[in-house]
Amino acid sequence: MALIELESLRKVYAIEGVESVALQDISLNIDKGEFVAVMGPSGSGKSTLLHILGFLDLYTSGKYLFDGREMSKYTEEEMAHIRNHKMGFVFQSFNLLARTSVLDNVKLPLLYSSIPENQWQKRALEAIEAVGLTHRLNHQPSQLSGGEKQRAAIARALVCDPQVIFADEPTGNLDSKSGQLVMETIQQLNEKMGHTIVLITHETYTAETAQRVIRLHDGLVQSDEKVVHRRQAKEHFEK
Amino acid sequence: MTIRQLAKTSVIGLTSHKSRSLLTILGIVIGITSIILVMSLGQGAKSLILGQIQSIGAKTIAVVPGREPTGPADALATFTDSLKERDLTSLEDKNNVPHASVVMPVVFGSSPATYGSEIYQPTIFGTTSYFSTLYKIEPSEGRIFTDDEVQSYADVAVIGSKVETQLFGNMPAVGEKIKIKGKSFRVIGIIGNAGQVSFLNFDEAVFVPYTTAQAYLFGIKYFNRFAIEADSETTVDQTVEDIKITLRNNHNITDPTKDDFFIQTQAEALQTVGTVLSVLTLFLASVAAISLVVGGIGIMNIMLVSVTERTQEIGLRKALGATEKNILSQFLLEAILLTLAGGIIGILLGASLSFLVSLVLSRAYALNWAFVLPISSIVLGLGVSSGIGLVFGIYPARQAAKKNPIDALRYE
Repeated sequence: MALIELESLRKVYAIEGVESVALQDISLNIDKGEFVAVMGPSGSGKSTLLHILGFLDLYTSGKYLFDGREMSKYTEEEMAHIRNHKMGFVFQSFNLLARTSVLDNVKLPLLYSSIPENQWQKRALEAIEAVGLTHRLNHQPSQLSGGEKQRAAIARALVCDPQVIFADEPTGNLDSKSGQLVMETIQQLNEKMGHTIVLITHETYTAETAQRVIRLHDGLVQSDEKVVHRRQAKEHFEK
Repeated sequence: MTIRQLAKTSVIGLTSHKSRSLLTILGIVIGITSIILVMSLGQGAKSLILGQIQSIGAKTIAVVPGREPTGPADALATFTDSLKERDLTSLEDKNNVPHASVVMPVVFGSSPATYGSEIYQPTIFGTTSYFSTLYKIEPSEGRIFTDDEVQSYADVAVIGSKVETQLFGNMPAVGEKIKIKGKSFRVIGIIGNAGQVSFLNFDEAVFVPYTTAQAYLFGIKYFNRFAIEADSETTVDQTVEDIKITLRNNHNITDPTKDDFFIQTQAEALQTVGTVLSVLTLFLASVAAISLVVGGIGIMNIMLVSVTERTQEIGLRKALGATEKNILSQFLLEAILLTLAGGIIGILLGASLSFLVSLVLSRAYALNWAFVLPISSIVLGLGVSSGIGLVFGIYPARQAAKKNPIDALRYE
């Protein structure tokens, strides 16, 4: 069953009166439980697409159905609620709160949720355990390595148990060893816990850890195919 | 998001910039401190002054000759001789003024008093023995003249402590004779350091029987004033009316606007002085309040900087599910907490300063100054400071809430 349905989605930016087309005409479906990688050169519109999928940006025309309901029908508060409960975000630049412990960073989404406060600690600890950062619980972001920061961010994305995780070049700022660990974590989330993953990357070997690769070019879908020889994150880096 | 969680978030936001937060609230602290100081000292001054007036007694009524001054053009001198011996007799009559417990006539003037080669110019009061009860002063030496001495035009005098030292130095004064306008008076009593009571300085006064003063010192047959005491505070108004009727009868006055006397009560004096002091306090407090506006603009300025600086944090919070309302509340609460903290510090500072001032005034100047911290000033201080946070915090908070999550996340 499709979690995300796009129909002739178009996004035009107007900056100081000059229009630039970021997405021309995108139609695609992403099913629940799928692991999709979106690739494309810079300017191809992959980040714009991810932001629209994540309710962080609005589209100009076309249709976007999330969980069967069109995005334009949601109010600002409902969109915030869906971002909170059904979506998780992992950014290239981590975006952890400075001077705030890993535990409190992971708890941040819970602050805006309807989950009772007495479950916060348990949920946060579970999420941190899932990314293997239990030994860094009370560390501040400045005391963590890049990979650890990204795994803390993944724990934060997980804590409200979302249906889909949007990851915007999560390994872009990491060395290959840390990147491998992060990709392992993401792959596990998909395979063991059944989270839908939409991942943006420009690295082919990272994209091939996914089940399906969508290539964008100039705001259009250039190709959309299943990965025939799917990689395990672990095995790739061991070679 | 509960209020408690919201408050926690805001406190974390503020405490991560401690020194900036402290500097930001300085304006509010100074403003609230001045307001509290002014209000507290104003209240202290008010109770001191009103207390002094009240010590003469709220039951006291003064009858003054002449028309009540309503403007500078009024000829005050027109009827200064309107209160006569006959009026005194009528007012003392219980049939006319049933609730007057005492009627005390007063004549006064200033004239040099001499003892040997020493000379001093005191205020001379001609009155009855009742003045010591009315003004609650006791002779420190000797006695007050008696009613018999008043009736018999006795040449006796009670002198204030300053008159005593000026004329006699360290020598005993009681029993000695002083000369006023060529007439000898025997000193029978001394009033020790009574100081300033209301508008009279007893230390610089000489008291003689009014009969003697009228006949030998001033050469007049009228009084400068009647001091009348009602038998209780509730009968003051009735007594004032009775006095008016009696005097109008004596003076053949039918039209009250043509009265040749007027009446002052302590209650009126209290009210007048009280109003003047309240207005003065209010005026000073409003001047202090201007600094609060300046402080508020400072808060707004810093909050705007803070919002810009934390653009990324705002974007992140929105991406993680914060609604516009959540963000607005967080930043608004930060502003209110800032100003409220400033208000609390200001109240503590203002109260301590006022306490110090009251300590200095009562110790160094021997004033009966009480430290008062009006509850209204605390309520005002807290209300005004959080109000300023609300007013000057709303604009930055709205700027924060309106940020587009993706623009905010991209911000570097």
